[in-house]
Amino acid sequence: MTIKIWTFAALLALTAGAAHAQIADAADAAAFAEELKNDAASDQDVANKDPWEGFNRKMFSVNNAIDGAVLVPAAKAYRATTHKKQRKGLRNLLANARTPAILINDLLQGEFKRAGETASRFVVNTTIGFGGMGDPAERMGIAQHSEDFGQTLAVWGVSSGPYLFMPLLGPSTIRGGVGSIGDTAMDPAIWIRTDAAKYLRYSRAGATGLALREPLIEPLQDIEDNSLDFYASIRSFYMQSRKREIANGRTNFDDLPDIGDFEEFDELE
Amino acid sequence: MRITSMVHRLGVAMIAGVMLTTPALADDETEYFIQAVLDEAEPYLNAPDQDTQFDGIRQLVDKYVDMRRVGLFTLGKYARRITPEQKQVYLPLFKEYATGIYQNSLSTYAGEKLKVTGSVDRSQRDIIVNSEIIDAAPGSQLDHMVVHWRVYRSRDGHLTIVDVGADNIWLAIEQLEQFTSIIANNGGPPAGIDALIADLKEQTADE
Repeated sequence: MTIKIWTFAALLALTAGAAHAQIADAADAAAFAEELKNDAASDQDVANKDPWEGFNRKMFSVNNAIDGAVLVPAAKAYRATTHKKQRKGLRNLLANARTPAILINDLLQGEFKRAGETASRFVVNTTIGFGGMGDPAERMGIAQHSEDFGQTLAVWGVSSGPYLFMPLLGPSTIRGGVGSIGDTAMDPAIWIRTDAAKYLRYSRAGATGLALREPLIEPLQDIEDNSLDFYASIRSFYMQSRKREIANGRTNFDDLPDIGDFEEFDELE
Repeated sequence: MRITSMVHRLGVAMIAGVMLTTPALADDETEYFIQAVLDEAEPYLNAPDQDTQFDGIRQLVDKYVDMRRVGLFTLGKYARRITPEQKQVYLPLFKEYATGIYQNSLSTYAGEKLKVTGSVDRSQRDIIVNSEIIDAAPGSQLDHMVVHWRVYRSRDGHLTIVDVGADNIWLAIEQLEQFTSIIANNGGPPAGIDALIADLKEQTADE
């Protein structure tokens, strides 16, 4: 346990330190503005965000092999043996168990209104929602949102670092990876050192995997069937959706590739 | 002196006023444009069989999506390096591929009603029109889903669709990232573009 926290703290210090150093180096405002502009420009060029593409592609195929051999059959069996309502109940239950971590991250990001929603959801769903099986909070108009420590780091200004694909964990970035360690530490079950808690953690990890994979059986198959480069498709979808989540759903069209990129083709004949 | 300064101020205010109001008018035009496309799409999306849906979407894509522009956009920095011969093969293949993607993505909204909710001008020529699924079945995942349309206004004022996105995830951007990745991983142009063309041929032949 101590090792876990230490690694986490060290990683955090490293990334935060790096971000800090960047700002200090660019004390000159003009240079800093230029740097921001360059960051934005390189953001468009995904190749720059994926310097470990070779490694990531290997991990991607390892993941797909495991996925096809184990996860998809298990998810299909899970679908065949359960009712839609039961699956929804399990998804709700797991989501409710994650609420404390979401709350901490809402607070760390200074999103107090969202933190209030998260806390209300937890209270409502844990009580009249039978420990989280139901989602009466949703019907009361308190919508669910996700938040994790990777997003908190992003809000704090830690840059995403390279794209990283890990088998079973799926697409992420270095920031997201460090973030998941943070989220693990925010999980109450991780701090209880009994066999029962250990069993709970493992079975919850398994259930989470199944519950997450089951509704994605068709959509992922669809993306695979329709793409020429499945790896690049997933990377693009991940990067685009992550940007939106970090902005907490506030739509921002500023960093789309410029229409100039479309316009210059007027002259290309 | 005072009067000239007032006239001057008035002039500035008027210019500012014109600058502020013009984009709003432009918004209206693009919003009407997309709403008209959505109205035209509605009977197709409500068709019970997939063939009618797909045929309808194809007709609308032919009519309103500038596939040549999108096809060149998705080549990214390689758009200037494609040879005329390659371009002649690539553009029709791209059109076929992208039409298939439109058919596949838009038919997800079969039976739903989309309504334009507003727009954002990135520039005079580059407008994003937002639409939302209304009246979806209660509890449906699609309820209130936002679908964005990127509209390009040509120099002569002609409007075309260049990209479509759902909840901020854009199709042409995803295609750009796939295509540039394939070209780069196959040794860059011209060989990389030939590899892309071969992949597109294979993909469109399956359909």
